[in-house]
Amino acid sequence: MPETQVEFENVSRHFGDFVAVDNIDFAIDRGEFIALMGPSGCGKTTTLRMLAGLDKPTSGIIRLSGTVMNDLGPQQRDTPMVWQSLALFPFLDVLGNVEFGLKMRGVAADERKKRALEWIERLGLGEFVKRQVTQLSGGQRQRVALARALVTEPEILLLDEPLSALDAHLVVRMQGELKRLQAELGITFFYVTHSQSEAFAMADRVIIMNEGRIAQIGAPREIYRTPANRFIAQFVGRNNIINGTVSSIAGNMATFTTPIGNFEAACPSVQPAERSEASFVVSGDLMKISKMRPDTKNQVECTLISEEFVGSFVTLFLESADATEFKVEVQQRELEQLELTPGGTFWLSWESGHAYVLPENA
Amino acid sequence: MLWRAPLLIWQILFFVVPLFFLVYLSFWVVKNYRMTPALDPVNWIKMLSRDYFWSAYGLTLTMATVAALLVSLLAFPAAYTLAFKVSARVRQLAVFVLIIPFFTSYLVRIYAWQTLLAENGVINAFFSLLNLGPFTMLNTPIGTMVGYIALTLPLVVILQTISLANIDRSLVEAAHNLGCGKLRTILTVIIPLAKNGIIIGMVFCFILSFGDFVSPYYLGGSKPPTLSILIIDTTKAGQQWPKAAVVAITMIVTLFIVAIAAVAAAYKRPGTR
Repeated sequence: MPETQVEFENVSRHFGDFVAVDNIDFAIDRGEFIALMGPSGCGKTTTLRMLAGLDKPTSGIIRLSGTVMNDLGPQQRDTPMVWQSLALFPFLDVLGNVEFGLKMRGVAADERKKRALEWIERLGLGEFVKRQVTQLSGGQRQRVALARALVTEPEILLLDEPLSALDAHLVVRMQGELKRLQAELGITFFYVTHSQSEAFAMADRVIIMNEGRIAQIGAPREIYRTPANRFIAQFVGRNNIINGTVSSIAGNMATFTTPIGNFEAACPSVQPAERSEASFVVSGDLMKISKMRPDTKNQVECTLISEEFVGSFVTLFLESADATEFKVEVQQRELEQLELTPGGTFWLSWESGHAYVLPENA
Repeated sequence: MLWRAPLLIWQILFFVVPLFFLVYLSFWVVKNYRMTPALDPVNWIKMLSRDYFWSAYGLTLTMATVAALLVSLLAFPAAYTLAFKVSARVRQLAVFVLIIPFFTSYLVRIYAWQTLLAENGVINAFFSLLNLGPFTMLNTPIGTMVGYIALTLPLVVILQTISLANIDRSLVEAAHNLGCGKLRTILTVIIPLAKNGIIIGMVFCFILSFGDFVSPYYLGGSKPPTLSILIIDTTKAGQQWPKAAVVAITMIVTLFIVAIAAVAAAYKRPGTR
């Protein structure tokens, strides 16, 4: 039975009239890798700062290992953080930065040097011990920040968009290292990011926030395939959202009537009422595109608007007769048979089981 | 390149040339109260062998050093408050208010201090209410020091405030996050980060105090004399301009050394210990 480590109970944070965090409620188990994700201004950083004691909640209770933390200053918590700016002390060398936390805890000089050197070594910074942090590369500085936070052997590590300043290739490498480090240490990582790829690549569970509230909590795959609401469906992945009226329900399958045709969509969790307005989503990577009209149920004719290349993937943007926008992800090599021409018409189709009714409208 | 010429010409005409002339003047001789151009080291030998010169030098150096340390200490709590505890608007307003003293003549402000510091002045009137005093402050080194502080405190507060306000807040938070108490953060993180501003403030205070003659003259009563008072006395005493030039040059050299040492200390790259 996993043990609960962090609890937010109806926590809000107001800045004057602005509500940065609005009554959020969640719990994290010991040893989880949690990513807190959302667009800028969604309250994710404020949530992290409240856990570190750098911000005080306006209302609600924050518990760490069962203890109420609300009135404890940042110094009284064992919640080291890795800053977006890294916040390394420029007037100290690598060793000075790493042993800072131990020094503040009154660890004797010999002991703290030994422990700091162990972490410096562990993160592959052995040759830079006496180097000034201003003379290090981005990736090296990143490691110094990690070593500085981990040297006190905390039970939770807070990370505030730590990879956002790195080059793309370094980001992927650091993701792997962070994930490995977290697995080795077995401690909780609470990772704030606006990047979906970072969150989904590393986290066991993702918390998505929007306008100060939690929009969904779940494993990356769960959020990706079964978005809880329209916001998540738009924020995560390349989802197509189709609005219509529920004409009938049979088992876990709802039939929709829309201006562009009749479609089927799965509703495994919550069933919408018949005759109600509802929406369903189909992920862009589960849509098929063809020149010829396919011989399947869910299909719609669209005009190609534009395309976007990212590596071997291409995202096609299409529009149906009623101007509903569709996004389709295809492999580069599949495209070659399609003879794409802007303004050309194509057929989109998908399996009923790949369409998912958004529970919020149900 | 041409647009730089006016400044260069100005500097050469009104700084470099007079400076060379000052050096030349220090080798002239005075005979029968008349200055004659010469290349005689007699003024240097006489001046630098006099005890009263060295005691004035020691006093001026001490007073300016004490002023630099005292003013920096007095300024820090105010600058810290303005940089960290108030909004940017209040900070801007405060910096403007700190400039206001410079609108009025320094001399006028010093006269005002005379009425405050005098034996029967405002401060002693307050002490007499407590059955204390009167304390002699005017025409003592205390008076001089009060003048130095009045002259330089607003400037040092401004310089410290600017350098403290520029500190990246996440560094302060990082210190707290790593278990560093509030007071300890000031000593181990904030002061090292504001080092340049603090040192530049000290240097300004030192330079302004070292060369000032108004405070030692009107508040310190010229006794014991600082180097600036020595210059006044020397020029008054029988056309001894060459000897005054010797004092002036030693002052310039001293300030030059202090300024270079301080800037080197301020901008020393960390790690090159």
